Amino acid sequence: MAPPQGQQRPGRQLALLGALFVVLYLLAFFAFGASGSIRDRLHPNLGLDLVGGTQVTYVAQTEAGDAPPRTNLEEARGIIESRVNALGVSEAEVVIEGDRNIVVSKAGSSDDSLREVGAAAQMRFRKVLKASIDTGPVQAPPSAAPSGSSPAPGTSAAPNASAAPAATPAPSGGQGGGAPAPAPSAPAPSAPVSSAPAAAPSGTAAPDSGAPVTVDAVRKKVGEKAWDTASKLTEPANDPAQTPLLAPFGDLTPEEIHALTPEMQFNIPAITCDKLNNRPASAIDNEKIKVTACQPGVKFYLDVAKVVGTDIAGASPVLDQQQNQWVVSLDFTGPGQEKWTALTREAFTKQPADGCETAAQAVDPSAQYCLVAVVLDREVISAPEIQGVLTGDSQITGQFTPAQATDLANKLKFGALPLTFSVQNQETVTATLGTEQLEAGLIAAGIGMLLVAIYSFFYYRLLGSVIFSSLVLSALLTFGALVVLGRSIGFTLTLAGIAGFIVSLGVAADSFVIYFERLKDEIREGRSPRSAVERAWVRARRTIISANAITILAAVVLYIVSIGAVQGFAFALGLSTVLDLVVVFLFRHPVMTMFARTRAFLSPRVSGLGRVLKQRPADADVAPTSRVKEA
Amino acid sequence: MADSSLANRLYRGEAGLNVVGRRKMWFTIAAIAVLISIGSFAINRFHLGIEFAGGTKLSVPASVGTIDEARAAVDRAVDALPADAEGVEPEVVTIQRVDSVDAGGGATYTARTSELTNEQALQVKQAVARDFGLAPDQISDSGVSAAWGESVTRQALIGLLVFIALVMVYLILRFEWRMAVAAVSSLLLDLVLTAGVYSLVGFEVTPSTVIGFLTILGFSLYDVVVVFDKVQENTRGITAGSSRTYSEAANLAVNQTIMRSINTGLVALLPVGGLLFIGAGLLGAGTLKDLGLVLFVGMGLGVFSSIVFATPVLAALKEREPRIKAHTQRVLARRASAARGEVPVKAGAAERTEDQVAAMAGAAPKVGSRPNAKRTSGSSTNRGGRSGGAGNRPSGKRR
Repeated sequence: MAPPQGQQRPGRQLALLGALFVVLYLLAFFAFGASGSIRDRLHPNLGLDLVGGTQVTYVAQTEAGDAPPRTNLEEARGIIESRVNALGVSEAEVVIEGDRNIVVSKAGSSDDSLREVGAAAQMRFRKVLKASIDTGPVQAPPSAAPSGSSPAPGTSAAPNASAAPAATPAPSGGQGGGAPAPAPSAPAPSAPVSSAPAAAPSGTAAPDSGAPVTVDAVRKKVGEKAWDTASKLTEPANDPAQTPLLAPFGDLTPEEIHALTPEMQFNIPAITCDKLNNRPASAIDNEKIKVTACQPGVKFYLDVAKVVGTDIAGASPVLDQQQNQWVVSLDFTGPGQEKWTALTREAFTKQPADGCETAAQAVDPSAQYCLVAVVLDREVISAPEIQGVLTGDSQITGQFTPAQATDLANKLKFGALPLTFSVQNQETVTATLGTEQLEAGLIAAGIGMLLVAIYSFFYYRLLGSVIFSSLVLSALLTFGALVVLGRSIGFTLTLAGIAGFIVSLGVAADSFVIYFERLKDEIREGRSPRSAVERAWVRARRTIISANAITILAAVVLYIVSIGAVQGFAFALGLSTVLDLVVVFLFRHPVMTMFARTRAFLSPRVSGLGRVLKQRPADADVAPTSRVKEA
Repeated sequence: MADSSLANRLYRGEAGLNVVGRRKMWFTIAAIAVLISIGSFAINRFHLGIEFAGGTKLSVPASVGTIDEARAAVDRAVDALPADAEGVEPEVVTIQRVDSVDAGGGATYTARTSELTNEQALQVKQAVARDFGLAPDQISDSGVSAAWGESVTRQALIGLLVFIALVMVYLILRFEWRMAVAAVSSLLLDLVLTAGVYSLVGFEVTPSTVIGFLTILGFSLYDVVVVFDKVQENTRGITAGSSRTYSEAANLAVNQTIMRSINTGLVALLPVGGLLFIGAGLLGAGTLKDLGLVLFVGMGLGVFSSIVFATPVLAALKEREPRIKAHTQRVLARRASAARGEVPVKAGAAERTEDQVAAMAGAAPKVGSRPNAKRTSGSSTNRGGRSGGAGNRPSGKRR
């Protein structure tokens, strides 16, 4: 008599739940870089308030050394906060301290991501005038290997997909690993390139306004001989005889290097990329001068910036399906697009005078057109060969990890900081709340669960065991999900989060009440338990779904719209609601269906439906026959 | 009915509480409460925590001893300060040990307190320095901005508005516009009153409070949706019969779901009570208390308003609908002409005669009986048709 699906489903649903469980815990144990002991593997990411973390203090640098305007600090705080939050659901804290510091705190010990968030993120697009291989120690392979921003000769829309794969510089890809492909570690540059030495001359030579280090001081430090040799260079020194003469330049600090002209920075091999990349943060922000900058392994001498960060309207990380690599897709503003088109036209059009093709060939022997370097703050993140005039959106290609692509896109999207910051110090901080709060939270959870259990046993008798076991199940699923999410997307659990989950377990118990009250009504009407379970389920399901749909709606809206702690909350809310639905559908209903087949279900002592069952004879004249029919 | 104690009648959904009929009273109470809350917003404002208002940071060298000693000393010094003009006592919010990652930097204990004036900060520094035998200038202080920026609040508010708009649309599609209006106004009532309690009592508003506040959002609507689901079921096709007015049917729904509402409220409030007990009772202050408190207040109000506010608002709106209005008049007229003495207009199920009650038990669209078979899914229609004839048929007849 019971409907067919009522008989088949319970097993299947429970099996599905079991499978879900196994997958979740397998993920928790083995996926996303799990390692170490069982304890380590089963450890959710705890928040700043519970386990402490790292904090980085950024100090605003101003020309005159006085405090920057408060509004700029506030704006910078907002941008940094957006960037930190975009790193994941980690509930970092960003505050202004005193009149010029911004302190960023984040749970855990991962610090590199925090060092990055204070970068000014000044984006500059500069044509590459000269290139040479860096002789310095090869850096750890950071993000970028250059490659094309997907030229699309002639076409206007969606240029990205078409020409990119084959044509974009394969050789630069080779550098992505960090080892410059052409000449890994030759002491003297093996493929120095320059041409038109006279074409990039003086007049652009004073980038160091306000810098504390004067040219004279540097000159004194390296000695006249070295200075004279260096001044005479018109291209990177490749004469072995000059190497010892120029050696003193290798001892210069990054600040002192900053005092040199860009030409000297480029031409002296002793000035390594390592040093160049440590110049003051805003060293090459000035878009009106030519500069020297590095991509791992390659030094570039770059033209003035013709397209800048403010010309970018939007940026997003995209997985390029054809090349199966992450790229950052750029969307220019109206005027920005015009500038970008003009710049690519300039690079695409042969201009023998500036020799930029030669520079391109130094990087990639097969290159035919000039390169345009994408410069972020002090470093070149990619320098694609321009293989057409670009009139649409463009991409920055590099061998990005998904995280790097996201990070870069966020920096571009949230805009450059209005101030330049330097990292003052990095510190570890202990938990603000301490272990007694965590313990108290767990005790509270225990008490809460106990109360709910007592109440449900009292009110629903043995059915309380169904409530209790699904609460335990919810808790286990939630815990597993937290471990997995903590490792995969950096979800961090604060004390507030723990409290939220405790509460949500209580709220989840509510869907039981809806169901059981329905069930009582059904039985009161004279249905057999088996059919009552099925019917009550159909009714209760509707109510539960609509009620949960609202909660999920709240979670999704808040997650999309809000930022910071509210976003973290929304995530937790959505997670717990979805898990509630999982438990309701895959555990409670099948268990109840199975339960209804047992005789104990009918016993008043056992099921908590007793009073209703006893009462039933009173209604019997109204609904007399149904039980017989159904049984 | 053998047992007719209130608890039992509640349990069976036959308590016959007249909620909807007394709606004027509930509206008056709600209006007064809202006025008081809004008045309090204007006069008392809110007591904002340092995450919103900013504060002061004090750094004490870690050489002074353990973190607990440092905390005790700073606590003493800050507690010794007099309350400010608004009666708010300065307090220490957190204390952390800070170790420099780079070599050479020393370790410090960093305490964050509510915002101190320069004078207060100086007093605290001197007191702490005296305690540890340091020179006052070894202790540094600086202002700390709000960690919870205005943009967070702004985005959260935008999120709230978008949510309310979407939920309106959802409820209109799922129910009808009157129900959507009633549900959302009940939600707004919960939010305003919860905020009102905070403002009146002067509880501190922290990020945890705001998070808890947003949790109420879902909970409150959840409750209302459950009640409205029942109302919708009870009133489907109500104009076809003339036994009950819309308000009475809605009242019946409230009575039928009241046990569930109370159960839900209790089950949800039990863990919150646990949080509050531990947070406020044992720890005194902090995240647990903040969250426990706001949830306790908000959820309590939510349960209450879903019973005594949402449905009465709905009934009031519905009774303005011409169709329902005409139907109500017809029902009342019929009762008057029934000439069976006094007919209780406001009657819920309990005031009917015994056989009526028995009939109602099967006939009134309780959970089991879905008068309109086309709404039920295939399988249940099937079973309903065969087994539930007794449950469904009478209601059809009575209409």
